[in-house]
Amino acid sequence: MRQAGLYDPAFEKDSCGFGLIAQLDDKPSRSIVSAALEALSRMTHRGAVAADGMSGDGCGLLMRRPEAFLRRIAAESQIALTDTFASGIVFLPHDALAANSARAQIESETRAAGLEFLGWRVVPVDTSACGPEADRTRPEIVQVFIGARDDTDAPAFERALYQLRRRCEMALSDVRDFYIISLSAHVLAYKGMVMPAYLPKFYLDLARPELASSACVFHQRFSTNTMPRWPLAQPFRLLAHNGEINSIQGNRNWMRARGPRFRSPLVDYRELQPVVSMEGSDSQTLDNMLEALLVGGMDLLHAMRVLIPPAWRDREDLDSDIKAFYEYYQLHMEPWDGPAGIVMLDARYAACTLDRNGLRPARYLLTRDRHVVISSEAGVFDVAPADVIEKGRLGPGEMVAVDLLRGEFLKSRDIDAINRARAPYKRWLKTGVRYLSNSLIDPSLAIEPMDSPTLAVHQKLFGLSREERDTILKSLAESESEATGSMGDDTPVAVMSQKPRSLFDYFRQSFAQVTNPPIDSLREQRVMSLMTQLGRECNIFEAAPSYAKQIVLNSPILSQRKLKQILSMSDFGGHVEIDLNYSSDSTLPQALDAICARAEEAVRGGTLLVFLTDRHVAPDKIPVHALLAVGAVHQHLTRAGLRAACNILVETAVARDPHHFACLIGFGATAIQPYLAYQSLLALVRSGQIKRRFGEPLELGRSFRRGVRKGLLKILSKMGISCVDSYRGAQLFEIVGLASEVVERCFTNTPSRIEGAGFAEIEAEQRELCGKAWNATTLVDPGGLLKFMQGGEYHMYNPDVIARLQAAVRSGDYALYREYSEAVDSRPPSALRDLLDVHSPNAPIPLDEVEPIESILKRFDSAGMSLGALSPEAHEALAIAMNRLGARSNSGEGGEDPARYGNEKSSKIKQVASGRFGVTPEYLINAEVLQIKVAQGAKPGEGGQLPGHKVDEYIARLRYAKPGIGLISPPPHHDIYSIEDLAQLIYDLKEINPDALVSVKLVSHAGVGTIAAGVVKAYADLITISGHDGGTGASPLSSIKYAGTPWELGLSEAHQTLKRNDLRKKVRLQTDGGLKTGLDVIKAAALGAESFGFGTAPMVALGCKYLRICHLNNCATGVATQHQTLRKLHFVGLPEMVEHYFRFVAQDVRERLAALGLRTLDQLIGRTEFLRPNAGAGPKQARLDLTPLLGDGLASDAPNCCIDERNTPFDKGTLAAQMLSDSRPAIATKAGGEFAYRISNRDRSIGARLSGEIARHHGNLGMSEAPIVFKLTGSAGQSFGAWNAGGLVLDLTGEANDYVGKGMAGGKIVIRPPSDAGFEPKNTVIVGNTCLYGATGGEFFASGRAGERFAVRNSGALAVIEGSGDHACEYMTGGCVAVLGRTGLNFGAGFTGGFAYVLDIERDFVDRYNPELIDIVRISTEGMENHLSHLRELLRRHHLETGSTWARELREDFREVLPRFWLVKPKAASLESLTETLKRAA
Amino acid sequence: MHDPLKFLKIQREMPREVPVATRVLGYGEIYGQFDAEGVANQAGRCLDCGNPYCEWKCPVHNYIPNWLKLIEEGRIVEAAELAHETNPLPEICGRVCPQDRLCEGACTLNDGFGAVTIGAIEKYITDEAIRLGWKPNLSAVKRTGKKVAIVGAGPAGLAAADRLARSGIDAIVYDRQSEVGGLLTFGIPPFKLDKEVVAKRRTLLEGMGVRFKLGVEIGRDVSFNDLRRDHDAVFLAMGTYRALDGGLPGLHLAGVHPALRYLISNVNRVMSWRDDQAPIDLRGQRVVVLGGGDTGMDCVRTAIRQGAASVQCVYRRDEENMPGSRREVKNAKDEGVEFLFNRQPLAILGDQQVTGVRVIDTRLGPPDAKGRRRPENVPGSERELLADAVIIAFGFEADPPDWFASAGIQVQNNGRTIVRAETDPLPFATTLDGVFAGGDMVRGADLVVTAVYEGREAAGSIAKWLSVA
Repeated sequence: MRQAGLYDPAFEKDSCGFGLIAQLDDKPSRSIVSAALEALSRMTHRGAVAADGMSGDGCGLLMRRPEAFLRRIAAESQIALTDTFASGIVFLPHDALAANSARAQIESETRAAGLEFLGWRVVPVDTSACGPEADRTRPEIVQVFIGARDDTDAPAFERALYQLRRRCEMALSDVRDFYIISLSAHVLAYKGMVMPAYLPKFYLDLARPELASSACVFHQRFSTNTMPRWPLAQPFRLLAHNGEINSIQGNRNWMRARGPRFRSPLVDYRELQPVVSMEGSDSQTLDNMLEALLVGGMDLLHAMRVLIPPAWRDREDLDSDIKAFYEYYQLHMEPWDGPAGIVMLDARYAACTLDRNGLRPARYLLTRDRHVVISSEAGVFDVAPADVIEKGRLGPGEMVAVDLLRGEFLKSRDIDAINRARAPYKRWLKTGVRYLSNSLIDPSLAIEPMDSPTLAVHQKLFGLSREERDTILKSLAESESEATGSMGDDTPVAVMSQKPRSLFDYFRQSFAQVTNPPIDSLREQRVMSLMTQLGRECNIFEAAPSYAKQIVLNSPILSQRKLKQILSMSDFGGHVEIDLNYSSDSTLPQALDAICARAEEAVRGGTLLVFLTDRHVAPDKIPVHALLAVGAVHQHLTRAGLRAACNILVETAVARDPHHFACLIGFGATAIQPYLAYQSLLALVRSGQIKRRFGEPLELGRSFRRGVRKGLLKILSKMGISCVDSYRGAQLFEIVGLASEVVERCFTNTPSRIEGAGFAEIEAEQRELCGKAWNATTLVDPGGLLKFMQGGEYHMYNPDVIARLQAAVRSGDYALYREYSEAVDSRPPSALRDLLDVHSPNAPIPLDEVEPIESILKRFDSAGMSLGALSPEAHEALAIAMNRLGARSNSGEGGEDPARYGNEKSSKIKQVASGRFGVTPEYLINAEVLQIKVAQGAKPGEGGQLPGHKVDEYIARLRYAKPGIGLISPPPHHDIYSIEDLAQLIYDLKEINPDALVSVKLVSHAGVGTIAAGVVKAYADLITISGHDGGTGASPLSSIKYAGTPWELGLSEAHQTLKRNDLRKKVRLQTDGGLKTGLDVIKAAALGAESFGFGTAPMVALGCKYLRICHLNNCATGVATQHQTLRKLHFVGLPEMVEHYFRFVAQDVRERLAALGLRTLDQLIGRTEFLRPNAGAGPKQARLDLTPLLGDGLASDAPNCCIDERNTPFDKGTLAAQMLSDSRPAIATKAGGEFAYRISNRDRSIGARLSGEIARHHGNLGMSEAPIVFKLTGSAGQSFGAWNAGGLVLDLTGEANDYVGKGMAGGKIVIRPPSDAGFEPKNTVIVGNTCLYGATGGEFFASGRAGERFAVRNSGALAVIEGSGDHACEYMTGGCVAVLGRTGLNFGAGFTGGFAYVLDIERDFVDRYNPELIDIVRISTEGMENHLSHLRELLRRHHLETGSTWARELREDFREVLPRFWLVKPKAASLESLTETLKRAA
Repeated sequence: MHDPLKFLKIQREMPREVPVATRVLGYGEIYGQFDAEGVANQAGRCLDCGNPYCEWKCPVHNYIPNWLKLIEEGRIVEAAELAHETNPLPEICGRVCPQDRLCEGACTLNDGFGAVTIGAIEKYITDEAIRLGWKPNLSAVKRTGKKVAIVGAGPAGLAAADRLARSGIDAIVYDRQSEVGGLLTFGIPPFKLDKEVVAKRRTLLEGMGVRFKLGVEIGRDVSFNDLRRDHDAVFLAMGTYRALDGGLPGLHLAGVHPALRYLISNVNRVMSWRDDQAPIDLRGQRVVVLGGGDTGMDCVRTAIRQGAASVQCVYRRDEENMPGSRREVKNAKDEGVEFLFNRQPLAILGDQQVTGVRVIDTRLGPPDAKGRRRPENVPGSERELLADAVIIAFGFEADPPDWFASAGIQVQNNGRTIVRAETDPLPFATTLDGVFAGGDMVRGADLVVTAVYEGREAAGSIAKWLSVA
């Protein structure tokens, strides 16, 4: 059913806390169940709480069959059990008739399956444990018992139950509320939409003392909606999942495609299709998939490692047999990419695994009485330290399992050993796989150059402008990377354009935002892969040597030679060549029909390679755009069940930039040969426009491919996808402006919400290009898409608009503003809002009855622009102006000069971005609003880079960095990988500055409404929805052009979704992106915004001329440069100009309100009835349908704007409050002191509130001389010591979770294990992931190992730990880290400042560090005395602070161990400079 | 590697100017040429703005940043090709455009850095390309067999001829003068535009297949009906030749010269071309030029070169509001012209021979609806200027020939030809089917570059009408 508005439940996301507890010897006990329930309740903060305080987003328990209990309750219900039986809990509708027919169905299917129906039991529940919301949607809950015939073995019984359940599901698919939680002889699950603490109160069974099990998996959910749906609670039938399957769309599509090829000798899946759910929760689909593999005959260890393999390819430490295992399976099944932490339970194993990126936390411990417990957080199980014999955490791609049959605890290595022995994979691959490397390719197949008229015909025919050639192609080939640009995209989206536009322009890349993190494909290259195989996909259940007959390519972008080589391999499946050029008297849909028919016929006949080419152009022919053809063929073959039997190769002129390749692959292409790109580059070489480097043979094609590969990886990583296999066919795009007929046929199920160009319009544009192409007098299009060009694409910030705006703000003359606004408001329809007219049923009112300018100004913010992107002069002028107006300026990312705090230069909004530059306690308390920048419109899903030449002394000081050295902002916030992580960061911020509102900045895309709902549930006070057109100081051009959508879509969706979930009243909604005039404000308000962000316009007011050269540091207006001369002599901006601008806009708003008959802007917010669509201009616009923006089909009684003053977290932070009230006098008087408390994992962000208080009185470090010491015992919750201020000492005996010391500025954090611990501290994890993230100072000592990403973006803290996970010291710019033990992989990626010591006992650190930016050197006894004594001193301090015996031993044997230490330093820093730093510090 | 800060390191520099003392002795162009390094340096100062204000302000919207980049890289031929894509007469515009009011005035660097020397570079590109033997390559153009008559070989006509030739249409250009160029040749003094430049352009055009029929006046030598009959379409680009005289008393006096007559006379003399009328020589005379436009500037500077005893320019507004190019005003001042701003001429004095001009001081009144401030006379400030010769340079208006009416080509009250708007599918079409018009005769006296623009656009429209494009 089509939704009336933009809200779509398909976008819902969830996340959570999870865990597992198992007894190695399979001994059932009640205490296991109790411990699981207790653990669940201790992770309440990882879930969400509804307004009623009782309804949660769901939680549950999956336990190994409680045999005794089941027999007992069966007897109570007079059900006679057979020897072999299964039981399961079933949700049924309340309607008795429907419930009875469902029961009858189950009973009859049971009998039909040859099983014995044993009986029903009503599951006793206490509905008072259910919140009102949950109770309203609560189904009837019953339990079913089914018996097996005596001769049935256990696996056969399980298979029969599976088929029985699938049949029931299919038969009852339209019965509301019908759902089988589990049906198995091995496991039993309970779940519901209640808070964890209420689960055993709701299900009375769970409280019964005789309920004893030997293993439990449990899960607590945080969903992005508020509409409870009981079946979506976890665990599912086999697993519970924390995180998200990024590649889910592709995985589902491929399962659909491989339908008929997916068959097991044991189960006939054909009648059970679809085997995996095609919608709903990704976790559920994964559970379906795992279940299908298990009933088909795989075991859990096998199936799980095939589905979610580690990053194996570049791992030197893995043996070749296990690599062969992974490679073999990857030939036949794409990975299901996380972020995922998964706990599982089946007939034999209880297991846990993390995906290759390891972005979800999982800590385990092993006890003396042979229990293994695993959970998202340490501290959820009560085990005496002395009873713990081992503690650890799962690293990226690791898996652990409890083999309940053999009583063994298996680690990754053990599981690998089992898997690699299953078949001789290595031998099979050796004989079967052909690796097509360049050396094997016949040079005679090289490209033949086109003559220049032919080239011109192609360029005109396929819309390759000179601008694209000179900017995009040339950069890819010359620098092997994408061209960089700045400012935003101010052109109309493709469907709004009056020009023929590339079909690719309609596609917006999906990107990770909040619910999953993007990856840094540059710094974390190891996890990424573009490996592409050609060959028939084979049945995964039948491993066989012949199935390894495949061709493996290192990337899907082919040279002409490679393509010819493949096509000429006569022994490899054969190919069918399909010409994409059709006769001009035919139509595009007819051409697609013919292409699809041809492909189907060939593949049915056994052809392996479907080869689509648009090369054979002719004057009487029209080319089908390759993307349309690929999409149509892929969808057609998928529907026909043939897609997995072939590969789609494309030879096309249209693929030129990484986005083009991403689209083709994302909609099904296997590999692509971009001949026009090659030809155009060749011509540039011939004409000398690309210079040969001396003597070198010019491998332009290769360089171009390298550039494209880099860009392609970036696009994958934006969505958190690692392997191109998982991206292929995954359709990770949103379409803006194509008609349903096109989407349904070629891009089935891709989000596309406002209709748009149909086949006729697409064809008409192509015919127009054809007309020009074959007319020799028509020139190649000069361009105009990237930069303004007369006669080219329309630019909304064209020279005329800029000139008028500047004239207005300089003069302060409102009449001149009117000339400006007239030029903007009457432009050719360019933005979606231009197709909405404002109208009112009311009579106009006099202007003086409308609220004053001042009250409108309060709604205006300047958008986050960092000092760094802007010059200090411009940044300060903006802040002064906004403060004078009573509006708010935004610091942007990059800190703020403390000299600006407390005066009119202070930015009221302080931004917290992924680089955390200058985010100190003092920075955070000097804010009215703290904005978490999750994404920015110009480049959502990407990090950033401030080039070294922009980092002068001043900026370096504010950012705690070194002048002249470039600074990297990571793509994700390393403390936000999911929605519950965001909730944690919001909580941290509210702890350190309880007075501030917390804002979250998101970028518009399909599904952003759902994310917004989650963000409100994570307790944000404000949400900004940015349009794709936001500006940037520097971004790859393809990011500026192809990601994010117009804010009109995102804002409407967010407003509608929040309203539907009754969350709108809790949050203020803002939008930004290209707002220019009062009319923009009026329209945004009507679509649901109550606050408005402006970026470019105030910059222009300050003199910016929209030159798009910000990234070059040569801004001639002095606005976006750090160049002294330009700033001092040529910056002409004054705060008054900005003030004029905003007053003009506010006045414009007032006049328009008066005309609408409205007295306040509040009366307009969310009132879409004031907007009416117009027909627009041109055939494309005429086919748009904007009604989804206007109507959500909801009753209008829900509030349209924010009502609640604040969105206060459920967790009141009682311990933090206690600590503060006890120590407040000591802080105020700088008296120092010592306090002691017990702490648990529920006590989160401990220290933040104290640090806020300290910073308020004494600044970041002002209390350093009078330390105040807190002695704590227990397991600390997340964010322990966040933004620790000078003088605050946190001394913890026990352990801590993720984010310890994030943003630490001073003071000290010491963590040691309990003295009676039964484990070896130096081998044991003591703190979780992402500790010291963005720290700027202070000291940290922990006697134990740290998790992933220790000291990421550290810029000043001193830390000593005894081991670390992967990616330690990533993006570090300062400070010192000593690791007295083994580190994980990828140490020091993006490391540009500070230094580290690493103890390398195993002598394999050389394989574990990332050599791109750092050197490692031995610490010699000569000439490095300073380092020597520094290291020795650190060991002494570490022993002193933590009592570490390991540190003591190292010190005692110092001479001996010294040669095992490495000094790690940035390549850019000399040893001498480090020594200087040390001397200064001493 | 291009240095993004080049604009700070290298100052704006024009090609060497011929020193005043030398240049006023003759009629040669006053600007020299860049050398290859100099032009690369000057072009390299371009910021390559995302909003190229130069291109926006340029009436033909030259791809200025793009050809600046090409010339920085020394790619003369490609730069010349690119320059010709938007401008059929780039070497001429490079010389005569008031760049300070157009591209260079809009240049981002004009705010405090010194604009890129766009005009001089434009000139360099084409001059150098031609010197290297470059010519437009029409080998790929398919001849359509269509024939279009162009009336008037001025900038609009030449521009249209170029575009038509590139579309495979035969262009036959008629002009009543014996030389091509119209005002380019006869109106603009040689020290601004060497006549050799126009001659080279003629050669290029002829190389493209354009034919010229000179000394032929339509309506006199060939009837308009014959012209229409013999061609598939007609483009009228006949300029504005009716001089405005302000109705001043004393216009009839000897020594009073219309500006254009004066300039044409001088060109004929310098070029030793035949002239039906007596030459005007102002050597040793006290000359007063009335009017502050570019034509006025041409006259004062010509008078200096003729060896006038003194040259004064009288203009009724202040310097700020002068329509003439700033650069020309500066050149004129350098060469010794005296400017009298805020003076309104009231009458030309004298009996038979002019003896002076009566003027009155003005001040600027309040801005009118268009924001332009009209001068008002200051009572009691009248005075007389002594003069032996007075040149009237108040501007020109369109002067449609008689056959317009009989052919059915409608004009406005001021004589300008009525054509369809630029937003129309067939811009520049007159009220008579198949007849198009453009340039000054349509919009009134204006810049060379606007005439070029209209000629170019009209040619596109004609091609469309002929179903060629």
